[in-house]
Amino acid sequence: MSFASVPVEDLNRPVPPYRHNPSAWSQRIPICLLAFVAALISSHLSLYQWDLIDSTWDPVFGDGSNRVLKSDTAKSMYGLLGIHDAALGVLAYLGDAILGFAGSPRRWQYRPWLVILFGIDVIPLGIVSVILVVLQAFVVGEWCFLCLVTATISLILVYWAWDEVRVSLAYLRIVWVDNHDWRLLWDAFWGNRQEKLDMAAEQLLSREVK
Amino acid sequence: MWGRVVEIMTAVWLAASPFVFSVQSDSSILWGDFGIALLIATLSGLSYWHPTRRAHLGILVVSIGLVLWGRFAVLPPPPAHQNHIVVGLFLLMIALIPNYASLPPRAWRTDATG
Repeated sequence: MSFASVPVEDLNRPVPPYRHNPSAWSQRIPICLLAFVAALISSHLSLYQWDLIDSTWDPVFGDGSNRVLKSDTAKSMYGLLGIHDAALGVLAYLGDAILGFAGSPRRWQYRPWLVILFGIDVIPLGIVSVILVVLQAFVVGEWCFLCLVTATISLILVYWAWDEVRVSLAYLRIVWVDNHDWRLLWDAFWGNRQEKLDMAAEQLLSREVK
Repeated sequence: MWGRVVEIMTAVWLAASPFVFSVQSDSSILWGDFGIALLIATLSGLSYWHPTRRAHLGILVVSIGLVLWGRFAVLPPPPAHQNHIVVGLFLLMIALIPNYASLPPRAWRTDATG
């Protein structure tokens, strides 16, 4: 199988309005690592919800974390989902890491579907998880230290992931504005190659950095 | 092909899980897990062969079935079925990962100008 590839400098070209390439490994690896840390923290919380450990680590709120994790709200979430909410958090953060790791340093153009899926996993779900943690504190009346840590990580992930999603959407917007062709937009979304898509990417890459 | 490797490792976990959760006496779970694990490993293995390189996408359907089985077979789901839900949701993410995911897609692997 031939792996003749695009020159590395082409894959890593900065994408305006940024002075960096948002899909570069140097941008994505920290996201994956931080998401993995959040998955480990959520694993610790889910072990408590599964009764596999006696208590969670909480240096600030003492027994508050345990009460939050075994609250009626958490139990009703369990009744709805069939698994504990912390376990779902593990999966969501692993999803961030997996979807962040997949793809080349030019995936904003070559695999927009992957970037947008990554964005959906990180941005709306991240914001929702933060809202849920804060609401839980007010509904349950207790605070959970590690839940707040993972909520903070979610917000950092949103901030870090946004630039890549933005350039991918900007690329798709150029494809649409220049051509008004649903078929071409479909091809751009799934990463099928066409000359017009090369031109659209080049147009984005040649924009002036303000 | 790291996505496929993770799928096969997950299939091994699924095949072992009736023993991990001590439900090997339940033949429906035992043979269900064995069968599904074999199916996942087969679809993943087929993805290494060029004519069936997209076989891993079939795991998406298997995963949805696994989640539904885990969620609704017994209410509330006991640990063995919670395992099905977690494994199913995990495989839903992994099965989406393309082969050779760290490289540009095949069509883009030549110079854009040439």
